Amino acid sequence: MSPTQTDTNTLASIDEVEAGTGARLMKNLRSSTPALIMLLVLVALFVAALLRSGSMAITGQALLTGIVTGGVYSLLAMGLTLIFGVLDIVNFAHGAFLTVGLFVTYQVVESTGWNPYFALPIAIAALFIIGMAVQFFLLHRTMGGGLESQLLITLGLSLLIANVLLMIFRGDPLSVNLTSDPGVNILGAVVSRSHIIAFVGALILAGVVYLVLDRTPFGRAIRAVAASSQGAGLVGINVRTVYAVTFGLGAACAGAAGMLIAPFTTITPTAGDQFNILAFVVVVMGGLGNVMGALIGGLIVGLVEQLGGVALVGQSPLLGVFLLFLLILLIRPQGLFGGKSS
Amino acid sequence: MRKRKFVTAVAVALGVALTATACSASGSGDDVIKIGTVHPLTGVNAGDGAQLENGAKLAVRDINAAGGIKALGGKELAIDPGDTKGSAKTGQSEAQRLVSGGAVALIGSYQSAVCANVAVVAERNKVPYLMDICGDNSILENGYKYTFRMQPPNSRFGASTADYVKAVAEQAHRPITKVAYLHENTAFGNGVSKAFAARAAEIGLTMGPSISYDAASVSDLTTQIAQVKSSGASILVISGYYRDGVLAAKAVQTVKPNLDAVVGAADGAFDQPQFPTDAGRAGNGYFDVNYHINDKSKKGQDFVKAYTAEYGDAPRTGAALAYDSVMVIAAAIEKAGSDDPEAIRNALGKTDVTPVVLSDGPVRFSETGENLSTLPVLTQVLDGAPHVVFPEQFATKQIVFPAGPGR
Repeated sequence: MSPTQTDTNTLASIDEVEAGTGARLMKNLRSSTPALIMLLVLVALFVAALLRSGSMAITGQALLTGIVTGGVYSLLAMGLTLIFGVLDIVNFAHGAFLTVGLFVTYQVVESTGWNPYFALPIAIAALFIIGMAVQFFLLHRTMGGGLESQLLITLGLSLLIANVLLMIFRGDPLSVNLTSDPGVNILGAVVSRSHIIAFVGALILAGVVYLVLDRTPFGRAIRAVAASSQGAGLVGINVRTVYAVTFGLGAACAGAAGMLIAPFTTITPTAGDQFNILAFVVVVMGGLGNVMGALIGGLIVGLVEQLGGVALVGQSPLLGVFLLFLLILLIRPQGLFGGKSS
Repeated sequence: MRKRKFVTAVAVALGVALTATACSASGSGDDVIKIGTVHPLTGVNAGDGAQLENGAKLAVRDINAAGGIKALGGKELAIDPGDTKGSAKTGQSEAQRLVSGGAVALIGSYQSAVCANVAVVAERNKVPYLMDICGDNSILENGYKYTFRMQPPNSRFGASTADYVKAVAEQAHRPITKVAYLHENTAFGNGVSKAFAARAAEIGLTMGPSISYDAASVSDLTTQIAQVKSSGASILVISGYYRDGVLAAKAVQTVKPNLDAVVGAADGAFDQPQFPTDAGRAGNGYFDVNYHINDKSKKGQDFVKAYTAEYGDAPRTGAALAYDSVMVIAAAIEKAGSDDPEAIRNALGKTDVTPVVLSDGPVRFSETGENLSTLPVLTQVLDGAPHVVFPEQFATKQIVFPAGPGR
């Protein structure tokens, strides 16, 4: 393999295929002062929140809530970044995929009476199939073309999904309730058990996606296609299948995130919208196409949202997130864990 | 390059999403009198939009079944629907489309920002606009001549909530130590909370922290409720919409602040029939100060029955307000003996429609267009459903106070 690919700001540059993303991440972490700056920003926000609220209990609560909600952002953003890294598609239907995950969960619980967590494999499978079908039948013919067609297709798809759900389930808010969802006390801060399950579940699933990409032959094929679809095709990889499976995998991440948040959110046809924009912020922050970056970026966004909400009283909690987003675009436009700018 | 592609894509998509508008054809015909509705039929608020629309349709059905507009030889009414999609800009273009299509009056629109834009269209075209749900005071402070409001304005909700909270606490001989306020950060939440704080200062209530959040993006309110807990407040007042109301109730359940009551001030969740189901145990005992269907009147009971039979769903108060709005306009057409918008506008104040919504007598409008007979009431979630508990003459259940979480 010769290093012909110069764009290192992707899921899989050639040396990455050889060295593995883990090693590259470590290298980047060591060499990246932005990561340090990020840490400093978080510490500063923590102190600001502490001073502003004058209470360790509130700040600790913000810290815990931030980490727990950030885990879900991570899983969602991971799917988005995977699709962008491999297929070069900006998927605006990602939030809508999360919504489908919510409704699959609702429908499973409604028709079987099971505990909602039994819907997790069903939601993952359903979104995997939907994602594959979308890529195979809708998006494949646009591959390599201008970005407008993919943009309009995914945006149109998100509107279509929201309106089909509206037609079937109507606009009234729905919910799946756990019989019991006690608060768990962690060092004086509380978090409901369903939040903990969502966080742990998201981390496990994110780990699985990472391992699939990093350690399996199929993951190697995905990374090869990401690096050079033409080259991968020449060595016998079925590029169209890899594209479809990758998109399916990305959609499945959104579906899993939807199921995991279902017990503590309100289910409406537009429920995914609020997560969509956050996922995009996480993806840019973590480095476009960088799966591990998405994981860490999600946690950072969750923390900044919560700590910022306490520190910047009276503002939208998202203000802090967008300020940080601008800061990152200024000091490190390739994202925290992206390679040097191309 | 890839970075630029991504950022360009995001920018273009936001543009597309913001400018996408609907162009639906409207039916025409001169044999009916068309009333234009401007409600969010799709988008985030589609659930409430459907309720409002259904309420208006039910009123038209009732009027036509009773023989139409008698003064005009039994001419029938028809709804010409417009979909705001929850966007002020779309609401404005939809209102213009309906007026151009021959609508003699408009009703709507659920969100104050949309109402403000629709009101401009109504004034420009000299067509009466009856706002069913729209709380923002400032809309009617413009000296408008064709715009009227059915529901109480935000300031009224804020002040009534302060009065009711104090009265209920005194009745129960349980003094209020401090009131914490949690509100969404647009005109609605800001307006109601300001009015509450002003009234609270007048009647001697101590205010604790006032915490705002963004209803469109919030996914968790645990940290905010932790702030309430550490403030030592005994009452938490909340002004928000449905989804975030459920989030707040769940966060209160998790954090367990030491409260005597959670009270909604015009909150979009705590008085809704499906709130107890969605919130589960977390919603027990929640109060809300809101407009409400008059469960004690035959008219109110008939409306609930008819709505449930027609749409298979319990009506929310919004549906009743839209129903009342159409009834008021129909009565004005009858009174004027004409379907000319100017004549309808002039007759609006002279009708004697007793609304389905709890009120202090028939609908009557002030100089500025406010409905003077509105009456916010206090509801409480008891035995899995919201009931009117205060003022006493409208109460259908005994008030439970204190009713904090974990009690």
